Amino acid sequence: MLKISGLSAALIAAAVAMSSGSAVAKDIVLGASVQLTGPVANTGRYYRDAYQLAVDKINEAGGVKVGHETYTLALKLYDNQSDVNLSVRQYTQLVSRDKVNFLLGPFASNFALADSAVSEKYQIPMVQGGGASDQIFSRKFKYIFGTLAPASHYFGSTVEMMKGLDPAPKSVALLYADDAFDVSVAEGTRPKLKEAGLTLAMDERYSTNATDFNSLLSQIKSKNVDAVLVAGHETEILNFVRQAKSLAVAPKMYSFTVGVPSEDFRKALGKDADYAFGMTAWLPSADLKDQWFGDAAQFASAFKAKFNYDPDYHAASGAADVEALVKAVEDAGTIDPAKVRDALSKVDFDSLYGRIAFNENGQIDLPQTVIQIQDGKLVAIQGVHGKIAAPKYPMPAWDAR
Amino acid sequence: MDLLVQVLINGTLLGGLYAMMALGLALVWGVLNIVNLAHGAFIMLGAYVSLYLFTYLHIDPFLGLPITAAVMFAIGYCVQRGLLNLIVRAPMFNTLLITFGLEVVLTYLAQLAFSADFRTINPSYAGDSIVLGPVVLPLARLLAFGVAIALTVGMWVFLLHTTLGRAIRATAQNLVAARLYGVEPRHLYAVTFGIGIALAGTAGGLYGTVSQINPYIGAALTAKSFAISIIGGLDNPLGVIVGGLFLGILESLTALYIGPTYADVASFGVLVLVLIVRPTGLLGKAA
Repeated sequence: MLKISGLSAALIAAAVAMSSGSAVAKDIVLGASVQLTGPVANTGRYYRDAYQLAVDKINEAGGVKVGHETYTLALKLYDNQSDVNLSVRQYTQLVSRDKVNFLLGPFASNFALADSAVSEKYQIPMVQGGGASDQIFSRKFKYIFGTLAPASHYFGSTVEMMKGLDPAPKSVALLYADDAFDVSVAEGTRPKLKEAGLTLAMDERYSTNATDFNSLLSQIKSKNVDAVLVAGHETEILNFVRQAKSLAVAPKMYSFTVGVPSEDFRKALGKDADYAFGMTAWLPSADLKDQWFGDAAQFASAFKAKFNYDPDYHAASGAADVEALVKAVEDAGTIDPAKVRDALSKVDFDSLYGRIAFNENGQIDLPQTVIQIQDGKLVAIQGVHGKIAAPKYPMPAWDAR
Repeated sequence: MDLLVQVLINGTLLGGLYAMMALGLALVWGVLNIVNLAHGAFIMLGAYVSLYLFTYLHIDPFLGLPITAAVMFAIGYCVQRGLLNLIVRAPMFNTLLITFGLEVVLTYLAQLAFSADFRTINPSYAGDSIVLGPVVLPLARLLAFGVAIALTVGMWVFLLHTTLGRAIRATAQNLVAARLYGVEPRHLYAVTFGIGIALAGTAGGLYGTVSQINPYIGAALTAKSFAISIIGGLDNPLGVIVGGLFLGILESLTALYIGPTYADVASFGVLVLVLIVRPTGLLGKAA
């Protein structure tokens, strides 16, 4: 039985291949420049791997149907070596020399901010899930679409959760790196803290790639700050936590925009990662249905099986970018960039990452779920519909863990 | 007041680590006249050697430092013998070019070998601290500070009072005369560079116990080591301690009183100032 069905499938495939003739050979090329080396390669790899997995999956499922023709997806990736200027040059090369059909994004807001100028200039749609800064979308560009929640909303759910903590935190330190993403986070967080009636005891900007947080930590201790919110990069957050321990600085809670959801972070810190709060717009839940992967849980296991590490929200948003482009091409019924752009502005579908429907600025808004590391495991604490699990709060002193 | 004392302590401990990082660069620069732009990459490699000794052989990161130093010495010796000796009397530009290339190669080899993941050397006591009333002394930083000061002073004694140290200085001062006295310069250059890289590797081992490491930390560490060497002066290892401490304390106070974004502005501002006012460094002999 198995043999017969295998044979018939092969016959059907052969028949399809012959009938569609040259259509099979047609490619829709998606171009991107991603950080495969350099200081942010650690996060850049999520995008490379997610793009590849999504492209493979969609091709396996029969490719992209445009009118009566079927296209195969192809990926053209460059390594921008974590260099913004190189990234801009590579995107220019992708559209002008390589003549790719559509663009996928790089990682990080400062990259997306610069690279989106290329997509706008050449009028080639770029769907990116690596840049969240509000700055990217405030310029009324028509060809940039983003699948990360606005940076200014990142700490929203955390502040919401803080209102319900007992004993309630009163004073807050807000620390942020001096780049596009983190400045946007800080700008959005200040009014939320004020609304919640919290005192902003410290509001400090530090240099990106700072390694020494001892002065800031000593101030946090001296001012007896209850809650510390840090918008920064993984390397900074790692140093921050290690130095907090060595200076015995234990506020009632601390929360970080990045790091906490990634496996690498938990591995590097071991049990010192416990109690850290973070946020994610995505968890690999089976509730998130998807046309190609089935659901988010299946996406996560396929990802882990292929690349041997767990995906986080960066990977999920990267995969959703490919899906959004495919949806838009199918909706538009053409690969004409301007028409696909218009179709992108209207897409509305459920993906492994969540519902994808862009607002007029081209961004989607997904709520952030508050997460916490408890005994080495990532626990969802508070989502859109309220409390999910009890937070471990207040954080005990370092020598009492 | 407590805060100020704490921040001064933080700055001093940071400064000790800075001095340790800069020591090898200053030695190689002062003696061989090579501005080693790959210095930070060697610090990074030393950190990985320490990390692997700790992770796979379970050797305590501080006790493993002599092994790290020996491994890095061997690497340094070979690099000088096989590569840098070729350009030792070439114009400065050639040495800059070749060491810059070396930095790029080492960094990318490190990514191939170790991946871009962030790592930490995290022994059980890494986060421990000694509490003295209101101030806290982080243990790992204190140990790192102790090692840094001991090695810097040791370096000073070595250069002034041992036969090898004298030979190194003699070669730096007058190559022809040193040769007449039986010094074999190619070997001696390689030994000197080896010592410089061993010191960089040791600094890397210490750095990994207090900070995260990844293949890309090198460039920033080279820049910092460069600044410290200039500020402290090249002709005296004690100057490196002064330069390191000065920079560590300056950055910590700047972060406290002006804001953390300005820490680097302050240190590189001072670098420019020193270059204008006292180009031989704070402790260097007046030009």
